[in-house]
Amino acid sequence: MSPASTRANDTDDVRAAAAGDRHAFQRLYRLHAGRVHGAVYRLAGYDHARAEDLTQDAFIRAWQKLPGFRHESAFGTWLYRLAINVALMDIRARGADPVSMLDDDHLPEAGETPFCAAERVELERAIGQLPPRARAVLVLHDIEGWRHEDIGSELGMAVGTSKAQLHRARGLLRKILGESS
Amino acid sequence: MNEFEWRRQMRDLRQPLMPQRDLWAGIDAALDDDSQLARLPRPATSAVSLQKHRQRWLLAGSLAASLLLVGGFGWHLLQAPTATPVARAANPAPATWKPDDPRLAGAAIELDAARMELQLAIRQSPDSPALRRLLDRTELQQIQLRQLAKQAG
Repeated sequence: MSPASTRANDTDDVRAAAAGDRHAFQRLYRLHAGRVHGAVYRLAGYDHARAEDLTQDAFIRAWQKLPGFRHESAFGTWLYRLAINVALMDIRARGADPVSMLDDDHLPEAGETPFCAAERVELERAIGQLPPRARAVLVLHDIEGWRHEDIGSELGMAVGTSKAQLHRARGLLRKILGESS
Repeated sequence: MNEFEWRRQMRDLRQPLMPQRDLWAGIDAALDDDSQLARLPRPATSAVSLQKHRQRWLLAGSLAASLLLVGGFGWHLLQAPTATPVARAANPAPATWKPDDPRLAGAAIELDAARMELQLAIRQSPDSPALRRLLDRTELQQIQLRQLAKQAG
């Protein structure tokens, strides 16, 4: 199926689901679950059980909010942002405070490059050990490709704070990877 | 490793991943619950009628919230020792009424229960102006609920 026909089906299903068609919504779930769950799984620190709860919650909220979807963006993009928001709300609800959890002793020396090579599994395990909000900034910026302006807006922090959090998260990651190697 | 290589390594982590188990059954069950509440009739409605629909729900929600307060206060007063039980003479209670709309029926039952609790409390403390005000407000809310049901058709 071509991308154009996929989009057309997607749009038809979105309209049908917004009108209450559960089968259409199930097709949307099948089509988008991978992208949504992948992003949520990374934000949840590679915790399968939590990520599945959050993915489920994201789709339930999407169903509730579908009548308000204005088709100004692709449904997949809208759903992805909604799912990220659900995961970030979960982080906020858990009262994660990255500043208190990040000790300056854990950070690399000034001028030391915070980048290091690692195997995929190692890297994922290390990201999973980061404090939740620091992990959120790192995942959104370095993996999902978000800008600091968007991260700051979504997490309720200044752009400078987001940059500082990223630097700290990378430093912590380097520290964790250094210890595990 | 420089920043470019780092970013490439990190972007490689950005992969779709299907959940280990099929989540649809859980979502479907949750939507069943949800559809009984928020998604009851979902016709193709205009923005104005949707707004009216939401306003009706807001009013029903605020009625339910206020009756909880009323009920709690009435219960508290019932617990207090009292002197002479006197029946409340003025302002007879409206007859019990149950709307056809199941969404409003819940609020009607709650309001009725709150009214009866307040009447009991007034028998215990007939001189309490606060209780009388609460009863008047509850009865007013019952009238508003009837009007709401009438508007909803």
